Amino acid sequence: MSKVILRMKDIRKEFSGVVALKNAFFELKEGEVHALMGENGAGKSTLIKVLCGIHRPDRGEIEYFGERVEFSDIARSQAAGISVIHQELNMMNHLTVAQNIYIGREPVKNGMIDDSKMIDDARKLFERIGVRIDPTVMLGSLTVGKQQMVEIAKAISRECRLLVLDEPTAALTEPEVEELFKIMNELREKGIGMIYISHRMDEINKISDRVTVMRDGEYVGTVDTDKTTKDEIVRMMVGRMVSSEKKEKSNVSENAETVLEVVDLCAGNEVKNVSFTLKKGEILGFAGLMGAGRTETARALYGADKKESGDIYINGKRAVINSPEDAVRRGICYLSEDRKRYGLLLSKSVSENTVLASLEKFGGNGFLNDREIERVSEEKNRLLRTKTPSMKQTIRNLSGGNQQKVIVARWLIKDSDIFIFDEPTRGIDIGAKGEMYELMESLAAEGKSIIMISSELAEILRLSDRIIVMCEGRITADMDIEDATQEKIMKFATLRNDPEKG
Amino acid sequence: MDNLMNRTGKNRYRMKVGQNIIILFALALLVFVFFLLNPNFTDRYNLVSMAQSLSPYAILGLGVTFVIATGGIDLSIGTVCIAAAVVAGKMYTSGLLGNNLWLTIPIMIGIGINFGLLNGFLVAYLKLPAFIATLGTMMLSRGLSALIVADPNIFFPGGSWFNRVFSNNNGFPTGILWVIGFAFVCSYFMYKNKIGRYILSIGSNEEATRLSGINTQSYKLIAYAVSGLSAGIAAIFWAAAFPTVAAATGNGMELDAIAGVYIGGTSAAGGVASVSGTVIGAALLVVIRNGLNMILAKFNLNLNSTYVTYVLTGIIVVVAVMMDVIKTGKRSKLRIRKRDDKTGNDIRGNASRPSQKA
Repeated sequence: MSKVILRMKDIRKEFSGVVALKNAFFELKEGEVHALMGENGAGKSTLIKVLCGIHRPDRGEIEYFGERVEFSDIARSQAAGISVIHQELNMMNHLTVAQNIYIGREPVKNGMIDDSKMIDDARKLFERIGVRIDPTVMLGSLTVGKQQMVEIAKAISRECRLLVLDEPTAALTEPEVEELFKIMNELREKGIGMIYISHRMDEINKISDRVTVMRDGEYVGTVDTDKTTKDEIVRMMVGRMVSSEKKEKSNVSENAETVLEVVDLCAGNEVKNVSFTLKKGEILGFAGLMGAGRTETARALYGADKKESGDIYINGKRAVINSPEDAVRRGICYLSEDRKRYGLLLSKSVSENTVLASLEKFGGNGFLNDREIERVSEEKNRLLRTKTPSMKQTIRNLSGGNQQKVIVARWLIKDSDIFIFDEPTRGIDIGAKGEMYELMESLAAEGKSIIMISSELAEILRLSDRIIVMCEGRITADMDIEDATQEKIMKFATLRNDPEKG
Repeated sequence: MDNLMNRTGKNRYRMKVGQNIIILFALALLVFVFFLLNPNFTDRYNLVSMAQSLSPYAILGLGVTFVIATGGIDLSIGTVCIAAAVVAGKMYTSGLLGNNLWLTIPIMIGIGINFGLLNGFLVAYLKLPAFIATLGTMMLSRGLSALIVADPNIFFPGGSWFNRVFSNNNGFPTGILWVIGFAFVCSYFMYKNKIGRYILSIGSNEEATRLSGINTQSYKLIAYAVSGLSAGIAAIFWAAAFPTVAAATGNGMELDAIAGVYIGGTSAAGGVASVSGTVIGAALLVVIRNGLNMILAKFNLNLNSTYVTYVLTGIIVVVAVMMDVIKTGKRSKLRIRKRDDKTGNDIRGNASRPSQKA
């Protein structure tokens, strides 16, 4: 067996009291492609950041080519031969390919940059790894796949000995993926170790030698790819981490009316022919991996982004929704995962944030009644148990959970019927999470209908009456809560090609 | 924790009141110093003259406060004001309006509002950067009015009812009453009507406002229209105070008015606006200009008063905006700390989402 080039042992990392990594372990051999897998939030990215010096581990040791190391920043880890290829490329579109590869270390002749040597070097480099790209063209004119190869070439030119590929195929077409794998195989021949992060099971099978699975910041296990099955890996990823009870059966009665029907919604590359229905009092969970198109579906439905086609029916009537204004008028509301950017007026008070959507109810067309605004804000926020010293408090000073409640209050005042919660508990601490769950359940019990996008499977299973699974912009499954399991959802969430019958 | 929150809440309130008090104090101090250096400064005649020239600047400032509150800017107000005055004046002097001087009023307002709508359309609907769009209309309005009018100077009839109503009635500065009235109307729309609330919301967080179901484009259009309208109204007071209107003037008027807005405590980043502050800020600038003039005259200093005014105004604007930056700087420190906390959560809850999203 070839020699081990990297061993990370007992790595622990906390962020202001939240444990991101505990007892993480990872090992990489020379010329090996080692897949690193786990759900969103399992700690993969943090582990990579610890490796390349972005984060300092609180505990644990990193052994690199037999030596104990701790890189203090990326420059040091790069100098030691570690390169990370991110899914989002960090390159300059307006420079040529060669300029991008040699940026910061351009060859100089007579005090001037020696462009011809740079182009020559780049050409030789591409020959070495068997890629055909003209080094003199603008980077921006290449496809994303080709750009990625340029970035890999750049890593190679730095005498890279360990290459990390973080979801490299997410934006690639099928032939581009093939070409990437060809290059990876060449690099394998040259003895370069590669850490491959991906959610795509079939790719893992094709390219990787071993798989290490992480869950909740912990090491779960390492298996040889050819001696294991897809199901086994999924089970390792999901584990028995369900802390909250799964909902036994739907709370929605058989004859509940359909309040929302979406037919063949298409928007950009992320939303492809999405159709579903939502019943009165139902919590409809949207599960899937990052980039599956769930947020994009919600935003297109809400009129926040343009949609190419598709019909929306509200209470059986066709509704034209071209802007959030249209959606809100029809009783839909959207609570974004990124509250600070898309939800709050951070420098304004709690009451101003609470009534933002309904000023016309408080005399906004004539004289605003500030006392009434304060009274109603107070009433709604007391109902939701928002913790704030007063309605005049600047909302920036509230915790994430309480900010979220203020936004819920905003839509309660507007009398919205259809609530779209996008990652409702992101950035909210554990205690407030439970409260958020109860809040959503009571909304549903009052006859509000809820679409809940969540990347936490436990959350999906605990709250949903029905679950829709998306993958790459398509709906791959629509299942009742009675039939749902974590394994099943994961299977559909990673289903890349045509949907199977499930 | 609760105590701490209360404290920050109170501090914020204190700061808000504080800003107005600071400018008022600076204003009083300046008046006092100018009076000491030249007692003629507080002469009744001089006070009236200052009040007369305050009106157009204050009204321009009040209008552009709405635009600045959205986080935008309107550079065209000065030239639009002059364009409105010269075009309406030319129409009157050439006999087009007969003997009806009052007809110039709707013409000036109409010209102003139309340029405002053009700015609003360019910024809100075509999504041009406000600076560039209004720079364009600034040049456009100046050039067009000069081309149409062709006279270097337009003469409004001096000593008519027009001057008495809008500027000076036998030594009483009538213009100032209009300014106060207009400031009250602006206060109403800024603070007591949904238009102002939404304009401030847009300045605070445009995307969050849009996602709350508010038609942000139309409210931005309104803000620019109000700014244009005010430029038209300011033209009335300009023509009344200075009946000889030169087509080439108006240069830099917008900068004076905008400087007054910033001095008054309206945030250049949007979201926070002070209507009363704008009036006080404009008054401060007028006092500086007039006071310096008188001192230089009295002591026979061989300095150009305009340039001295620029120097002093420049310093005051920078200091005023610095106060705003220090305030927001404190805020953004808080934000950074919060973000760190959030990063922790994100890594735990959801590993580096931005880099994973397609």
